Amino acid sequence: MSEVLTLAPDATEAPIVSERKQARRENWRLIRKRPAFIIGIVILSFWVVCAVLGSAITPHDPLDFRAGSHLSPRAEFPFGTDATGRDVLSRVMAGARDVLRIAPVAALLGVIFGVILGMMMGYLRGWFDTIASRIVESFLALPVVLIALLAVTTLGRSSWVVIGVVAALFTPVVARTVRSAVLAERDLDYVTSAKLRGESNLFIMFREVLPNVMGPIIVELTVRVGYAVFTVATLSFLGAGPPPPSPDWGAQVSENYNSIISGFWWTVFFPAMAIASLVIAVNLIADSVQSVMEAS
Amino acid sequence: MSSTTHSVESGAGALATIPAALAVEGLEVAYTVRGIDRAVLRGVSFSIAPGETFGLVGESGCGKSTSAYAALRYLPSNGKILKGRVMVDGNDVTKMTTDELQRFRAKDASMVYQDPAQAMNPTLRVGRQLIESFTLLGQSKQEALSSALEALRKVRIADPARVMDRYPFQLSGGMQQRVVIAMALACDPKLLVLDEPTTGLDATVEAEVLDLVRVLSQESGCAVLLIAHNLGIIRALCDRVGVMYAGKIVEQGPSSQVFDDPQHPYTVGLLRSLPRHGVRKTERALTTIPGILPLIGTSLPTCVFLDRCPIASDTCRTVEPPFVAVGFAGASGVTGERFTRCHHPERIKEMKEEVTQVPISVLAPSETQPNVLELSHVSKTFRQRSVSVPALVDVELGLSEGETLGIVGESGSGKSTLAKAMLGIETVDAGGVVSMGGTAVPSPTGSRSAENKRSMQMVFQNPDSALNRSWSVRRILMRSVEKLTGVKGDEANKRVEALAAHLRLTPRHLDLKPRQLSGGLKQRVAIARAFAGDPRIVVCDEPTSALDVSVQAAILNLLADLQAEQKTSYVFITHDMGVVRYLADRIAVMYLGRIQEVGDTDDVFNGPNHPYTEALLSAIPSVDGEEKVRIRLEGEIPSPANPPTGCVFHPRCPRAIAGVCEVTEPPLREVSPGHSMRCHIPIETLIELQRKPMQR
Repeated sequence: MSEVLTLAPDATEAPIVSERKQARRENWRLIRKRPAFIIGIVILSFWVVCAVLGSAITPHDPLDFRAGSHLSPRAEFPFGTDATGRDVLSRVMAGARDVLRIAPVAALLGVIFGVILGMMMGYLRGWFDTIASRIVESFLALPVVLIALLAVTTLGRSSWVVIGVVAALFTPVVARTVRSAVLAERDLDYVTSAKLRGESNLFIMFREVLPNVMGPIIVELTVRVGYAVFTVATLSFLGAGPPPPSPDWGAQVSENYNSIISGFWWTVFFPAMAIASLVIAVNLIADSVQSVMEAS
Repeated sequence: MSSTTHSVESGAGALATIPAALAVEGLEVAYTVRGIDRAVLRGVSFSIAPGETFGLVGESGCGKSTSAYAALRYLPSNGKILKGRVMVDGNDVTKMTTDELQRFRAKDASMVYQDPAQAMNPTLRVGRQLIESFTLLGQSKQEALSSALEALRKVRIADPARVMDRYPFQLSGGMQQRVVIAMALACDPKLLVLDEPTTGLDATVEAEVLDLVRVLSQESGCAVLLIAHNLGIIRALCDRVGVMYAGKIVEQGPSSQVFDDPQHPYTVGLLRSLPRHGVRKTERALTTIPGILPLIGTSLPTCVFLDRCPIASDTCRTVEPPFVAVGFAGASGVTGERFTRCHHPERIKEMKEEVTQVPISVLAPSETQPNVLELSHVSKTFRQRSVSVPALVDVELGLSEGETLGIVGESGSGKSTLAKAMLGIETVDAGGVVSMGGTAVPSPTGSRSAENKRSMQMVFQNPDSALNRSWSVRRILMRSVEKLTGVKGDEANKRVEALAAHLRLTPRHLDLKPRQLSGGLKQRVAIARAFAGDPRIVVCDEPTSALDVSVQAAILNLLADLQAEQKTSYVFITHDMGVVRYLADRIAVMYLGRIQEVGDTDDVFNGPNHPYTEALLSAIPSVDGEEKVRIRLEGEIPSPANPPTGCVFHPRCPRAIAGVCEVTEPPLREVSPGHSMRCHIPIETLIELQRKPMQR
């Protein structure tokens, strides 16, 4: 009589197993119902298509098209042309490639390093945490763009340098988020239980604790991608991006912002809007992911 | 619901001559989870007369808290009232506008929650918060101040001015709950709702808070709705009780009658699963209720209890049982006070209490073999900044093979620190020795040999925290088997399956994640993990306190079975005297890090006792309603950082000898074979004193 805690297997099997699947399906259903998520995905997909296909789908050649310079938007050139007569629409479409190649990689690397550092800080505590926390805080006090610009000018302009610099700047921010998530986990009894059976710290950190803090890490990743787009565009605006003929958005804005005074607003407005739309799209997605994650 | 049911239910209210302070009629509530409405209350009706105390009991998830929240319209944003009325003083709470509702909550009803710390603003002094509850009623600052002092005096706080000047965190849990009750009574409410008001408190404090509630409700004449899962509390405090199951009240009536002569199979099951009347594991296994509580929102059969009912008939399967009036066995016929939602109340008698288990043979502690675990001169001092806080002081304990040592004491007594010291999670102070099988073992755990790790494992209080929620059950068990026994691959898998089968987990459970399991199943997984390497000693830290009573019974049975088979020794930490009496062979009572009394379970329960043990035993609210003389302890547990001089218990001890107890600390001395206590009072005097009930 003492064993009867469960019903006959048949009676409970179906509801329990399907409950988890159902929860996942319903999370997906919930996120799809959010207009913000749909809008974000549509905008992001548009830029991804542009980045992948590049000049194959642009109406004109983004680098070499000699129409009249500074033609205002019209049927043939909906976004007008720039000082050298290149089609702004084609350049904006092709310009998605650089930023979409660099920003996600930079964000991902930043999150990976941040997770490793934050996990060690939160789990090991003690002197390591004290020292690392001070370093992280001092990093957070530095002006991001200034440091990035300094690093790129000293280390060279390659996209790997930009990726490395942005990743390094994001690491402390991510580490702090992960640290606080890990602090809540390390005092749970499953960690004690792992210690009681003699697991190593490395095992406990990355096999036991890590899966339980994936929620905030995923949210952090989506948020970081948005920031990375912004930072990469800022860097190329300041001249640390790819060199001139490239249709990169930041570079376009920086090349043409002098001509606003002469009334040629379209040469700056459209690339700037492209940057804004991509940042907003990523943030819309990040917000939706976050609120659905928090709800479940 | 059938029309006959309705007439009976409304009849229950009509019988009362005075209009009810609260009348809940046919309340149906659902929570929206991921876009789908899930029914929680399925037609709940009860009424409370002014000055009456009504209790709602039932296991978690049966809807008792939801009933209370719905009555004050405090439901969370995803909860909604689908049907029914809540009448307070002739007004329907469910139809009130926001303004009316605000006025109703300010003037007519108050609520006290489980955690008093969360009910107060941590950044404001107690006085300011209390004064605010009076100024809200329109009193001037001066009036409010004197009202606040008066309110604190009313909840038996001796020095109100000092308490007013403190921040909530500077008060103990019991003191906080008193302040919260004082706030709740500020508006002189017609209805006071208490949601598990003493669950987080220690037994001696709990008893005092319950006394206070009893006295205050009599003084003020307000109606009290008490939600509790502890049947003893309900019995001690409530005039009438409603037993809830799956969103319905299945039985209702005067609490003494309901508990002495239950008329619904669920109530019968609930009462039988408690370890009562001093039953021991050597006598019989505890009775459990087969099956599990239906999940919230699932569609239910005609009778909500059908699947788990041992006396269900064909009628039960086809016709929904009405809520019928029943008579009390002792009284003549139907009294109009008792109702059960059952077709066959007359067949309750047929539910025999089965004694299915052969009594477990207890191993006689052998004199020749060394203890499996021994602690000698174990102390543990924590350092907080420059202050040293002794959490354990000179603990001497032995544990023989197959023995269960119960460790009891209030929070802060050092029970958990003792467990951690045994396991090597905490290193002990120099001079203390923890030895297993006669050889000293080092701490921390990491420095112990694989064999030592394998031999001593732990079962934690809260399985949600103890099981890695992103691992499957199979992975959890597999890892422990591999790590503790060294076997790998197929062989390890076979062991996992054997282990699971042993703990009565089906193979299907192995592939689930912990959160897909019920509380009892989770605790089984945690126990299986502890038993993965055939341990000699298992430390159980309140393993059933997070579980419902029927599940608790199953887990206690399981632990007793495993022990009988494998001769495992248990260190069983608990605050539940009934549980420890059932399972333990010996009991150690701790206070401020010191063992105050240790002896065989019978010795500890029959006395003579250390005065602290005596107070602890007298504080437990009994579900049997036996008359007990409560021994009140003055004051609170002192801070371990600054323990009292002499006997650490003397400031609160009702039997302290002036001039002796505050000067020297008594040694732990043996009063009869195997029974020791730390007290200056000669044993003959204690026997004499405890024979006669103490004067209140």
